[in-house]
Amino acid sequence: MTSLTTFYLSGIIGKEAFDSDGVAIGKIKDLLVSAVPSGQYDPGQQIITGVNLKIGRETNFYSFSPFRVSKAREMINVTCTGLIELSSEEVENGLLLDENILDKQIVDLNGRKLVRVNDVRLATLPAGTFAVAVDVGIEGLLRRIGIATPIKRILSLFKINIPARFILWDDVQAIDFSNLNIKLSKSYAKLHTLHPSDLADILEDLGKKSSTSVFSALDEEKAADVLEELETDAQVHIVESLPVGKVADVLEKMPADEVADILDELEDDKAELLLKEMEAESSQEVRELLEYDDDLVGSIMTTDYLSFSGTKTVEEVLHELRIRKPEPSELYNMFVTEKDEKLAGTFNLRDLVVAEPDKKISAIMKSEPVSLYDDQKTTAIAELVSKYNLLAVPVIDRNEQLQGMVVVDDVVEDLISERRTRKRK
Amino acid sequence: MAGLKIGINRKNIFRKLGIFLMILGPGIITGSVDNDAGGITTYSVAGALYGYGLIWTLIPSFIVLLVIQEMNARMGIVTGKGLADLIRENAGIKITFLIFLGLLFSGIGNTTTEFAGVAGSMEVLGVSKYISVPIVAILVWILVVKGTYKIAERIFLIFSMSLLTYIVSAIMAKPDWGSIGMAIVRPRMQVNTQSMTMIIALVGTTIAPWMQFYMQSTVIEKGLKMKNYKYTLADIVVGCIITVVVAFFIMVACASTLHPNGIVINEAKDAALALKPLAGNIASQVFAFGLFIASIFSATILPLATAFFICEAFGFEAGLDKKWDEAGEFYILYTGILVISAIIILLPHAPLIQISIWSQVINGILLPVVLISMMLLINNKKIMGSYVNGRTTNIIGWSAVIILVGLSAALLILPLISLNNS
Repeated sequence: MTSLTTFYLSGIIGKEAFDSDGVAIGKIKDLLVSAVPSGQYDPGQQIITGVNLKIGRETNFYSFSPFRVSKAREMINVTCTGLIELSSEEVENGLLLDENILDKQIVDLNGRKLVRVNDVRLATLPAGTFAVAVDVGIEGLLRRIGIATPIKRILSLFKINIPARFILWDDVQAIDFSNLNIKLSKSYAKLHTLHPSDLADILEDLGKKSSTSVFSALDEEKAADVLEELETDAQVHIVESLPVGKVADVLEKMPADEVADILDELEDDKAELLLKEMEAESSQEVRELLEYDDDLVGSIMTTDYLSFSGTKTVEEVLHELRIRKPEPSELYNMFVTEKDEKLAGTFNLRDLVVAEPDKKISAIMKSEPVSLYDDQKTTAIAELVSKYNLLAVPVIDRNEQLQGMVVVDDVVEDLISERRTRKRK
Repeated sequence: MAGLKIGINRKNIFRKLGIFLMILGPGIITGSVDNDAGGITTYSVAGALYGYGLIWTLIPSFIVLLVIQEMNARMGIVTGKGLADLIRENAGIKITFLIFLGLLFSGIGNTTTEFAGVAGSMEVLGVSKYISVPIVAILVWILVVKGTYKIAERIFLIFSMSLLTYIVSAIMAKPDWGSIGMAIVRPRMQVNTQSMTMIIALVGTTIAPWMQFYMQSTVIEKGLKMKNYKYTLADIVVGCIITVVVAFFIMVACASTLHPNGIVINEAKDAALALKPLAGNIASQVFAFGLFIASIFSATILPLATAFFICEAFGFEAGLDKKWDEAGEFYILYTGILVISAIIILLPHAPLIQISIWSQVINGILLPVVLISMMLLINNKKIMGSYVNGRTTNIIGWSAVIILVGLSAALLILPLISLNNS
């Protein structure tokens, strides 16, 4: 007997377990693996902790440590030296391989997409039995249906190999915990490594229940980034299915223009409820933006921008930036305003960095800047942005007062989606 | 800036109208796809053979179709998951494999029938099938793969309104409304192998298994919600009515012209040709045009949908927004179904009648399996929460399952007997 035995989940489910005298004890219904990842690399998180055993008519969870899996002539044998019942808490902290993994969709963290699990590969070592990888390939599919061997034999005549596709256990994240009572934020921990837009794509592909539970497990900052990236339908679904308080907290972390876009899609009552729940400062900005029609510049401008008095020195502005730690897009273009909020000029990070520290901002700014009116049609933006190569354009009202800015990121999205809708619909 | 102040309110009126237009869709699209070449053929043959005798079957078909599509819509809205996903996750891999193997074969068979419709209708208009079928197959492939599928769907939907011209065809044929009424109120039929096969074919073509998958994914794609459910329901009712009304008038047109003259037909093309001396050249060409449009519409959607559901169930990447190397299985399946179906039609002496019978046999076996899966899924509280079936829906649903199992069993056995006899 070798010290390493590898086998598939599909090969062990439904097997009888025998005691040391060779007497059948019960039928294996499912295996339990620890669901809560404890650290970066920890073999403990993939050890099989329990087994769901059907003895007579009753099924119960038992510790897997007295169980041994061995292979003799391609046949899997399961032996057991004793039955230790698991507490309900131990069961709840685990993930059932057959119930929660097999045939379900899981996240492939490297491929950053959803895959469907055809089988799970396990290995028994002296230290215990471990979940090694999930099988997402065609070979696993054929094995489950029970026709892998004949088909492989036929194809080998033509020198064709069925490609096997495995994903290491470390690189997958289970999604479906619906029947378990475990702490979700901890069990979805692996998802935090994904980029918000990848996470958003995955959420869109998930069923409604799963997408809500994955989303609510994210911290507010991440949740805000993901919500921003979601398609409108999915945004509305998430916002409507979570408690108002939680949604309001997430919305506060988002730029006002994105929030306005989402609220625009909701029913008025719901939107009002959320606005009331949000902090006054954030909700006020959103309310102002909601006043604009969809096709006006005002509806897509952001009110998160930086403006300074022209009398400040370069040194003072840099100091202020260090304290405020603005978002990258706020630094695309910064503005100089006069006393009554009238736009006097613009400058960017480069202008600041190359200037002498004691120079006045009014001396380095570009005066008579290119700008948009808030009630101009959005179609005017693209032309302006490409003509002047701008990353952000200031938006003023008809009194020349600065209202916000249009960032190129938002325009790009709009332009692409406009082309896409024209193409598809 | 007075205009800006009323922004929210004005948007709301548009939004309500938008919701209505957006939701009016899945049921109507599915209902239109339902009247494909196979359907038109079956209705024509039934009308020519039995006159008004089998029109009553449309009433139970309508009820069952309505109940099934409502369940699909509800499952799609509540879970956000496709029927293929749900079956794979809950029914186990072996049943899933059998269902989708059946779906693949019936997909190829049905697509072949659609190409037969293309070939037949173009022959009526004087174009050889060796020209029409390859051209249509290539056009359909380009249309779908080059990403203009959504436009195509809309165009076809508008064109499929041409099916309503069957009403004109039927009225031009001067039907005897009194006898039609009597035939519906007091159905009389001989019980024999042939008439039973016809009834099964009528029900089977009206409620095809792949449409359940199609309906549910269309509902998800539209992002419908439970709070707008009444619009969705209206859409389903309208879609089912379109299906049944078109079927009714095809049967009436053929029943009032061909049946009294004892003309027996095998294909929808024969119906178009036979209408010519009896109802005039225009009626014949209208019929052929309707058949052509319906065939292309379904030939576009069927292979695409079949490929998509198979990939969904087995976890292959699928979708027209994916590239060839990302979703290889999907494109191979889609292209394969289309090419195989077109080739079968172009084979000299292809056994078209047998292919059509056998794809209906597969449909017949598949339908109760899919329906039972659906009934189990929709009554599962873990999946549907508080939106599980009510008692009335369950009674109608399970009775439909029982009747369909009976019919399918008959469909499975009867053609074998009748083939042996002939």
